[in-house]
Amino acid sequence: MTAVEHARPIQTQPGSGRQPQQRTGPLAGVRIADFCWMGVGAVATRMLADFGAEVIKIEARDRLDMPRRLPIYKNELRSYGDEDPNPDPNKGGLFNNYSRNKLGITVNMKTERGQQLVRQLIGASSVVTENFAPGVMEKWGLTYDDLRAIDPEIILARMSGFGHSGPHHRFKSYGPVIQAVCGLSFISGLPDREPSGWGLSYMDNQAAYYNSMALLMAIMQRNVTGKGQEIDVSAVEAGINLIGPDLLDVSVNNAKTRRPGYPNGNRLDNPQAAPHGVYPAAGEDKWLAIAVFDDADWSRFASALGNPEWASSPDFADQSSRFANHDKLDEHISRWSARRPAHESMELLQAAGVAAGAVRNSQDLTESDPQINLRETFFELDHPVIGVAKFEGSPMQFSRTVQDNWRSAPLLGEDNQYVFGNILGLDEDEIAVLTAEGVI
Amino acid sequence: MELAYSGLVVVELADDPAGEYTGKLLADQGAQVIKIEPLGGVASRHIGPYAGGEVDPDRSLNFWTYNTSKHSVTLAVGEAEGQVALAELISRADILLTTGRPVDLQAQGLDLESLCSENPRLIALSVSPFGLTGPWANYRTSDLVGLAIGGLLTTCGYDDHSIPPIRPGGNQGYMTAASFALCGLLLALIERQNTGLGQLVDVSMHESIAVTGELANPYWFYPKALVQRQTCRHAQPEPTQPALFQCADGVWVYFALILADQNAWKALTSWMESAGVAADLVDEEYLSLAHRQENFSHIQELLEVFFLIQDSGSVYREGQGRGLPIGPLRAPEELFDDEHLAERKFFEPVEMSDGTSTLFPGTPYRFSGGNGAPTRPPLLGEHTEEVLSHG
Repeated sequence: MTAVEHARPIQTQPGSGRQPQQRTGPLAGVRIADFCWMGVGAVATRMLADFGAEVIKIEARDRLDMPRRLPIYKNELRSYGDEDPNPDPNKGGLFNNYSRNKLGITVNMKTERGQQLVRQLIGASSVVTENFAPGVMEKWGLTYDDLRAIDPEIILARMSGFGHSGPHHRFKSYGPVIQAVCGLSFISGLPDREPSGWGLSYMDNQAAYYNSMALLMAIMQRNVTGKGQEIDVSAVEAGINLIGPDLLDVSVNNAKTRRPGYPNGNRLDNPQAAPHGVYPAAGEDKWLAIAVFDDADWSRFASALGNPEWASSPDFADQSSRFANHDKLDEHISRWSARRPAHESMELLQAAGVAAGAVRNSQDLTESDPQINLRETFFELDHPVIGVAKFEGSPMQFSRTVQDNWRSAPLLGEDNQYVFGNILGLDEDEIAVLTAEGVI
Repeated sequence: MELAYSGLVVVELADDPAGEYTGKLLADQGAQVIKIEPLGGVASRHIGPYAGGEVDPDRSLNFWTYNTSKHSVTLAVGEAEGQVALAELISRADILLTTGRPVDLQAQGLDLESLCSENPRLIALSVSPFGLTGPWANYRTSDLVGLAIGGLLTTCGYDDHSIPPIRPGGNQGYMTAASFALCGLLLALIERQNTGLGQLVDVSMHESIAVTGELANPYWFYPKALVQRQTCRHAQPEPTQPALFQCADGVWVYFALILADQNAWKALTSWMESAGVAADLVDEEYLSLAHRQENFSHIQELLEVFFLIQDSGSVYREGQGRGLPIGPLRAPEELFDDEHLAERKFFEPVEMSDGTSTLFPGTPYRFSGGNGAPTRPPLLGEHTEEVLSHG
C-alpha cells in the first residue's frame, strides 16, 4: 500500500547536451530573473529550478558568488582558512549543489547597457528574485514599482536577514548571526555553560525554504488572480517561528529562559522522556541517540537489552522516576552502548520498536543509507569541469510530478548566448561586442 | 481578502510537530484545516508546558504553538461510525495531511493511493519519519533520533568531543520536514491548477534533514572530508577559532572575525580604539594578514576583554553600525522587547477563548497583497458539530 512509484528521471550521461531545453514540471513556463546569490538565495530558487522553472541566474564576473569561490573542490581538500586565492569559478562543489538546473548569465550592472539588458530580461520574465543587502535594487532602479512598470503582473521576492523595513533592516547577517538574534542558538546547549548553538547556517537553509514557499504561494495565487506581489521574507522572523513552545511559555507564562539549568542539552522536559539522550558507542566520537517516551517503550527497551538487573530497579519503575534518576540511568545505558557499534544498537532497538538512531555523518548518508539509496535522494549529474558529481536532491516523492534534473550548475556566463540571443533577440555580432566590452 | 490558501479544505491527521506545523501554516493563510482528534485529544494536547501551569488539553502551549487557526473535530476513528465520518470528510477535502508511518496508516485503514484514485483532485500529503517506502519506513523516530540518523546532529555540539553532539532546541528535525511538506504541497497544488489532478506527495523527515546539512554533504561529495562539530560555529574539516564572546551583562555574542577581510579588520580596530582597548592592534604591521595570523591568540585575548567590558545591546548596535555581522545570543523573552520587531509589528495579539490576548509569532513571510495571521488554536472538539453537520 501507499508505495510511490520511483519516477526520478536522472540525466547522467556525460555529453548529453547542456543546451537549455523545454522544461517539464508544474513550473514549466515560469521564467525567473534571479539575482540571488550566497546560500539562502541560491537554495530558495533551486527548488523552483528543480521543478521546471527557467531560473536565469544573473552574475557579475568581477564579484563572484561566494559558493563559486569556496574551496569545496572534488578530490582536493582545502578548509575555509586555506582559500584558493585564484579560484576557478567553475570548480566549486557548493555552487554546483546550489545552482543545478539553473541557467547562468553574466552582466556588468555598472554599465548602462548592462542595466538595459537586465530590464529587457525582466520584461521577458514573470518573477524576479533577489537577496542583496537592502539598497542595491533601489540603486539600480529596480524597486517593485519600477518592475511593475516593466510588467504589471511581476512577482518580486526579496530575501534578507531582517526584512525590508524597520530600524535594523540594514544590519548585516548570515546564518549564525540570524540564529543568534532570533533565539535559536540560545535555546541549544548544555545547562549552565555557553550555548552550543548550531554547527551550520541552519537558518540559511530554513529561510531559503520559506522563500521557496512564499514564491510558490505567490505563483499559485497569480495563476488565479493574474496579480503579482512583492514578497518580503525576514530570516529572523522565520527563525522566531521555529523556536517552538518555549516562546509561548514566555509569552503566556512570562517564563524566563535565561535561567539556571536552561537549556537542557539532549534531555526532553516536555514530555519528560527518559532515557532521552546521546550515548557513547564503540569507536572514536561515535554516538547513539535514544528516545524512550513511556512505560511501553521502556519495557521494550529493557527487553532489547536482555532485561539487565539494573533496569528493574525501583529508581526506574516509571516514567517520572526514570526522569528523576536520569543521571543514574544514563550511566547504565552508556556502559551498555559504549561496547557496541552504533548502527548495531540502532538496528537492535528499532527492531524492538524503540526510537533509536546512530549519530550518522555524510559518509554514512552517502554510502550506507538504504532509504537515501532506494529513494534516490542524492543523484548524480555530469559537469564539464567537476565531472560526474553528487547532489542533494529533494526529500519529496510525487506520484505525478517529476523533478526535472536536466543539468549541473551553469559555468560562469554559460548561457549568455542563449539568453541574450534566443530570449532577448540580440544577434551574434552584438553579443560578441558586448562580451568584448565586458558588458556581459 | 483572498489569502494564498483561501477556499482549500484540509483534513489533518497529524500527531507530530512536522504535520501539525504544516497544517498551521496552511490554516494561518486561509485554509480551513479540520484537525481530526480522538475523543481525548491528540497527543500534542498532552504535552506541556501549560498556560498558567494548568494541565488541561485546552491549555497546552505545545498544542497552541503548532495548531493555530485550525478547526478541531473529535471522532472515534477506530469505530465504524467514525470511519464513515472520516471518509466523508476526506471526500470533500482538497488535501489530506497525515504523519503516520506505513504501519500506522494501515492500522488507521488509510490507503493513500486508493484515496487518491477514488478522489482524483485529492492531494494526499504524507509527512512521515522516513517516507512511505524503503527498509526503514516503519522505523520509529523522534526529533533527537531523526536529527541523529539524518546527519545533522553530528555537526552540532561543543569543541570538546568527549561531550556528545547536542540537539538544537525547538523540534528542528520536525520543522525541517514541515518546510518540505509545504513546498511539496504547493508544487502539487500548482500541478493541480495545470492539470486538474491531485496526487500523493510523500515527504520524508529523514531525507529532509539529510539535505539540510549545508556544507557537510558537499564536503563529503567533493573532497571526501568529514566536518567536525565546534562550539556554536560551523562544523568544518579543521578546527577554527571560537566565535562566542561574553559581554558584561552575561550575554554571549556571536562574532566570527574573518582575518582575511581587511575592511572588517579596520572597522573592528577603530571600534576597539574608541573603547580604549585596541592596544597594539592599530599598529601598521597588523595591516598585514600574515602578521594577524601569527598573532592570532593575542588578538583573540584582546577581543575577549573588549566584549567583556560592554553590554550586549551596545555591542550589537555599535558593531552592526560599523558594518560588522555580529549578534547577541538572545533568549526568547528578549525578542518581545526588540525595537525592530516592534516596528515591523511582528508579534500578533491573538484573542483566546477566555477573552484574554496572547502574543504569537507572526507569519514567516509578508506579501504586498496581504497576509493572514494566526488566530487562536481550537478547543478540543470545538467544531465537531459544525463540521460534521455541514454535510
